[in-house]
Amino acid sequence: MMSILEICHYLQNTEWATAIRQADFAFPLIEGTHIIALSLSVGLILMLDLRLLRLAFQSEPVSRVMHQVMPWALPGFGIMFLTGLLLFFAQAESVYNNSYFRIKLLMLLLLGINAAVYQYKFYPHMAEWDTTTVPTGPRIVAVVSLVLWMAVIVAGRLTAYEL
Amino acid sequence: MNLQRLWQMSYDSKVIDVLRNSHHAIPYIQSVHLLGIALLLGSMVILNFRLLGIGLTAIRIEVIAKQVWSWGTVGLVMAVASGFFVFLPDPARYAANTSFLVKMVTLLVAVLFQYTIYRRAVKAKVAAHSEQKEVLLPLVSLFLWFGVGWMGRAIAFLG
Repeated sequence: MMSILEICHYLQNTEWATAIRQADFAFPLIEGTHIIALSLSVGLILMLDLRLLRLAFQSEPVSRVMHQVMPWALPGFGIMFLTGLLLFFAQAESVYNNSYFRIKLLMLLLLGINAAVYQYKFYPHMAEWDTTTVPTGPRIVAVVSLVLWMAVIVAGRLTAYEL
Repeated sequence: MNLQRLWQMSYDSKVIDVLRNSHHAIPYIQSVHLLGIALLLGSMVILNFRLLGIGLTAIRIEVIAKQVWSWGTVGLVMAVASGFFVFLPDPARYAANTSFLVKMVTLLVAVLFQYTIYRRAVKAKVAAHSEQKEVLLPLVSLFLWFGVGWMGRAIAFLG
């Protein structure tokens, strides 16, 4: 059984991970895409959170904002995930030992749980508050999402700073 | 007072000195910069995709334009304000960086375009209740804003 560190060592030394690390422009291009895709993923999710808090798109039902924004936010998150994975592979060992990266993963896990709570607990009853006052539950989900996404950005920036 | 002296004063000031010598101040400020960028570029994506007719088509242009204008401006102000505090501790490094200079020019063009020509065109469109798709206007806006973003990334790796 390999330890996580051994797996990281293996990943980092595969031919393609080495290629990403050593090519002149591969790494900055992937990193640039990772950062700029923030606009599609976090930028759009923020809009839904702001709607739940009645700070944006007040005239539109929550369900409409959600269904309009999600088809773009999800592929945006997909780009983040893929480029993030490549960045991780390229320097797996040092990233594994980076405490900010571990904090970032924890935040992402919490965001996943937060999204699941919304999806399974509040989304089925959305019709009841779609066009009226948003109840406390989904509003807490929105605040948690806003705070955690900000924390993910900070932890991500610090991860790169400490490598 | 000339500009040179103003830079020198800011460079010598206590606040900027603390930022320059603190180990973690700059990445935290850059995080605010990134959050501002997420808001600004996210807003630009929403409005421009709507004008292109490829996204958020169930929401009226008027509503999108109004929301995006306020939140996009919040993002712009966040990005520019935090950008100043990344720049001020080390102005000589940035002044000598070609990507930074190109970024500033692109930013200026983007802001001017967005808040004059673009804004007027969207206002006219809303007033006329026009649902006709736009091509040139949103493409130029996306090109300029994403250009600013990429030039920012280039500061670190192209110089």
